[in-house]
Amino acid sequence: MIFRERVGISQFRVAQAPALLVAHGLGSCVGIALYDPRPRLGALAHTLLPALRSGLENSRPGKFVDTAICAMVEELLGRGAKRERLRAKVAGGANMFEQNFATDEGVGARNARSARETLARLDIPLLAEDTGGSHGRTLEFDLATGAIQVRTIRGGATLLTL
Amino acid sequence: MTYSPLTEEQRDALKEISNIGMGHAATALSQLLGETVYLRVPRVTETDIIQVPDLFGGADQVVAGITLQMLGEARGNILLIFPRESANRLLGRLLRREGETPVFDELSTSTLKEVGNILASAFLNALGSLLGMTLIPSVPLLAYDMVGAVIDYVLVELFQSGDRAILVETEFHGEDPGQEVVQGHFFLLPEPETLEVLLGR
Repeated sequence: MIFRERVGISQFRVAQAPALLVAHGLGSCVGIALYDPRPRLGALAHTLLPALRSGLENSRPGKFVDTAICAMVEELLGRGAKRERLRAKVAGGANMFEQNFATDEGVGARNARSARETLARLDIPLLAEDTGGSHGRTLEFDLATGAIQVRTIRGGATLLTL
Repeated sequence: MTYSPLTEEQRDALKEISNIGMGHAATALSQLLGETVYLRVPRVTETDIIQVPDLFGGADQVVAGITLQMLGEARGNILLIFPRESANRLLGRLLRREGETPVFDELSTSTLKEVGNILASAFLNALGSLLGMTLIPSVPLLAYDMVGAVIDYVLVELFQSGDRAILVETEFHGEDPGQEVVQGHFFLLPEPETLEVLLGR
């Protein structure tokens, strides 16, 4: 039986094949997956906010895009992943409620941008991305292959392998 | 600012004022539907952010969610969640349509938003007159999707600083002549500062 672990909002989890990491119902939240294909070791974060607002104490790195990525890298390296083999995939960051002030970048878009910028800063290649739109997503990260299935409710269950 | 735990007395007070406010919302819905609407006594839950999607029925459940901000001297978010079938039944009755109603067309969308507006206004009027405040709802926003995706936007401001929140929740349902019952959830997520206003602490 394959070990299937849920990644709740503001959490991240590290797992090794054979295992599935699942993040349910992401709206403006963004899911960030990091993967080292050699030991088939990876991590998935379900983050709420782009970055920690300055002056505030952070009790939970999984809540913020930047701190979640850094914490996942650290834990993956500690468990034997190699920095230069790490690669990333990102999904989520939707704008669930159509609003009139279109000039304002929504929190979903800011989450996705923060993920791209943090990954670029850490020199981790972003292999695939499914962000934006106005629909929710459920992510299933298969540690055996590194593939992520993105399910939405539009037209039944849409399967998109990043 | 973060939440400090509620005392038993504060919890009861919050439950009581919510009960009165949500009772008025249920009455408004009952007038819309032309049938009795039953309301469970509200639950006051102090919760960690990780548990929030479960309190809304599990992140994967497909719902129509209407969200409004509570504006005025007390601030927070109001969320109305109708499971998919209930949203369709509600629309079927209000728009006098037969069978399955597509939830995405413009008439359905604005009808659900208006339902949200009416219920939230009834709730805030009752709460406001109880507390001697003027409370008004913002423009309602609607999303039809997985409940996790519908609510995470609302959690953004609430969990900017802390990891815990206080949530008041009740369930309502219409008369049950068979399988056609309309049911839903009414949630209030007060901001930490507002709890002090509401509870006078």
